[in-house]
Amino acid sequence: MRIITKILAVMLACMLLLSVSPALAEGETVTINFWHHYSAQSAENETLMNVLIPAFEAENPGIKVNAVSHEWAELHDKVLVSANSNALPDVARCDIAWLPEFQKMGILVALDEAMADFADVSGKLLDSAMSTAVIGGHYYALALNTNSKIVFYNTAMLDAADVKVPATMNEWAEAVKKLSGENANGQQVWGWNEPALAGWNICPFIWSFGGSLTNEDQTAATGYVNGPATVKAVETFAELVLSGGITGFNAGDIPMTDGFGTGRYAMMLEGPWKSAELAGAYPDVAYGTAPIPAGEGGSVSVLGGEDIAMFSTANKEAAWKFMQFMTGEFAETEMAKCGQIPVNKAALESDTVKAADYAPFIEAIQTAKARPTVAAWSEMDNGLQIAMNAVVTGEKTAQEALDALAAEWDELLK
Amino acid sequence: MPAPPSSRERERMVTKSKINKAQIVGLLMPGLLVFGMFTVYPIIRLFWMSLCDMSFSSMLIQPFAGSMNYQEVFRDPTFWTVFVNSVVYTLVTVPGQMALGLFIAILLNGVKRFSVTFRVINYLPVVTSWVIASLVFRYIFNTEGLLNYFLWKILGLTSSNIRWLDSRWSGLSVAMILGVWKGIGWNMVIFLAALQQVPQDLYEAAEIDGCGAWKKFVNVTLPAIRGTLLFALIELTIGGFNVFTSIKMITGGKPAHQTDTLLTWMYYKAFSTGKFGYAAALSFVMALSLGLLAIVQFRMMRNRDA
Repeated sequence: MRIITKILAVMLACMLLLSVSPALAEGETVTINFWHHYSAQSAENETLMNVLIPAFEAENPGIKVNAVSHEWAELHDKVLVSANSNALPDVARCDIAWLPEFQKMGILVALDEAMADFADVSGKLLDSAMSTAVIGGHYYALALNTNSKIVFYNTAMLDAADVKVPATMNEWAEAVKKLSGENANGQQVWGWNEPALAGWNICPFIWSFGGSLTNEDQTAATGYVNGPATVKAVETFAELVLSGGITGFNAGDIPMTDGFGTGRYAMMLEGPWKSAELAGAYPDVAYGTAPIPAGEGGSVSVLGGEDIAMFSTANKEAAWKFMQFMTGEFAETEMAKCGQIPVNKAALESDTVKAADYAPFIEAIQTAKARPTVAAWSEMDNGLQIAMNAVVTGEKTAQEALDALAAEWDELLK
Repeated sequence: MPAPPSSRERERMVTKSKINKAQIVGLLMPGLLVFGMFTVYPIIRLFWMSLCDMSFSSMLIQPFAGSMNYQEVFRDPTFWTVFVNSVVYTLVTVPGQMALGLFIAILLNGVKRFSVTFRVINYLPVVTSWVIASLVFRYIFNTEGLLNYFLWKILGLTSSNIRWLDSRWSGLSVAMILGVWKGIGWNMVIFLAALQQVPQDLYEAAEIDGCGAWKKFVNVTLPAIRGTLLFALIELTIGGFNVFTSIKMITGGKPAHQTDTLLTWMYYKAFSTGKFGYAAALSFVMALSLGLLAIVQFRMMRNRDA
């Protein structure tokens, strides 16, 4: 018994020592946690870990940044779970579509209220990009990078079918029909690829046809999402699906990049990341880019991008310094080298950006619209996909499906 | 007769039994704590969650909402779609796996040489990763996949690609085929062990009575392995309702959630739309259904006894 008591006493003492020592070692350094979804093998992540964070830590001795990479959808889920268990990071790079949800949960900081120099900092960033961070009149994030989608077309296929790049929606519908059918190898080809039927995919058509999703205040949908222009856009799209001109959203379809790279899809609407993907996977496919064809509403694409947000449990001073650094000219220009379109006005003027392949995207960004910034958007988006699915399979007419959708959305927007 | 214990001896015996009890409690505590923290507590917490309003706007306050979530579940048309999908998946894969597993077990029961090799080969699908197997099946059943290639170009049986994965029932069928294929080995191993316990004299008695192979199977084999059949039935039913990976990887629930099953729908509701309360209620509805089903299965098997 005596030996056991002695051993237990020694173990207890060791445990106490171990629990005290980290506290002694901490001292003055503050660590902020930064969650992002730059994929682990990407150039962006390399730049972040090897260039940006060391530069920031050198400028700000006493602040250490612990950056954790997540996969896009996982990051969204992780924030939801962490909110409930009080394990949120200080700062995160969020898809603009997630901000309304996080704001509704009450886990974001209203930066225009909390930070004295907010106006200065946000003044250096593009207004249209900053518009994605406004919810209910307050700003909950800083814009970090922006993007939009433009038409990618296979030059060989268009030449072979004697089709010129469509500039209007009517030309587009004609082009899609002409480009579909069978190719020289007897394989089926499609004029247009659309990988899903969500807002991100269908909104450019709806807006370019002159339609809309909701009213200005985002409080009502009837008369907007089931208005005549929206219905026309959806009908045109569905008719092309039913006649074999558009595919890509079915579980068994050829994936978008593979289909485009192997000459099975003639055209698609995609973002700046696609150029890097094609260069890596299908360097031999000759393609061109063009703005989305103009309809009654003009040439309106959909705005995407990421913002950098601060969570309510953060070390606000340190987090704000990091956010300013990441949206500053140096960081934005470095990321621009990896293909991230900057939102920092000075960075946009830099030679790097002017020499990059972004010019067509930057034009599209000027006229692109953001999807509704309401917390119910994921449910609304789900409803839109179900409605679109009914129309493209011929189950319902566009008017029927959109009327039902408008009623659903009115409820969700209340 | 040994002398009765003296008072000092009695004292020592009582202290010894107290120490024994203390040791037992001490040794059980870690296991009970882990069980309590990771199994009991989450179930209670989840039940409470199912009675609260937990969506984006109320995530951190979670006001009590009574049966609101349960009502929402039953009024949701997509719930009924995914419930039917889960039931059909279970109704097809469970008997399918059991029948094929039993058949192979019977065949292997009579094999003396290489029986281990055959058992290993049959069990390999069971230990294959669900993710990998699902992706391979997706590759096979894709619109421009291996199966269509065989049917069209090699065998000339079709004149265009069949879109196996693009609609509700054919998409689910692919997942069901995978489910059956993957489970056969597990059933085979279990039934083989059970078959080897069946006493040979029962078969001999049946032969004397003039029973053929089929009658022997129905009247001797099946009753003898009834306990194992019930065990497999309940395990596989629970597994059938819990299907997740294959659905996610093969169809992703497309088109428009029509190939979703209970778990994939629950995951979507919780993490994509933030409706944790709904998802919690759904999990209890599922648990209750499985519980009822298990009771029914027990009763059915027991009735055959009488």
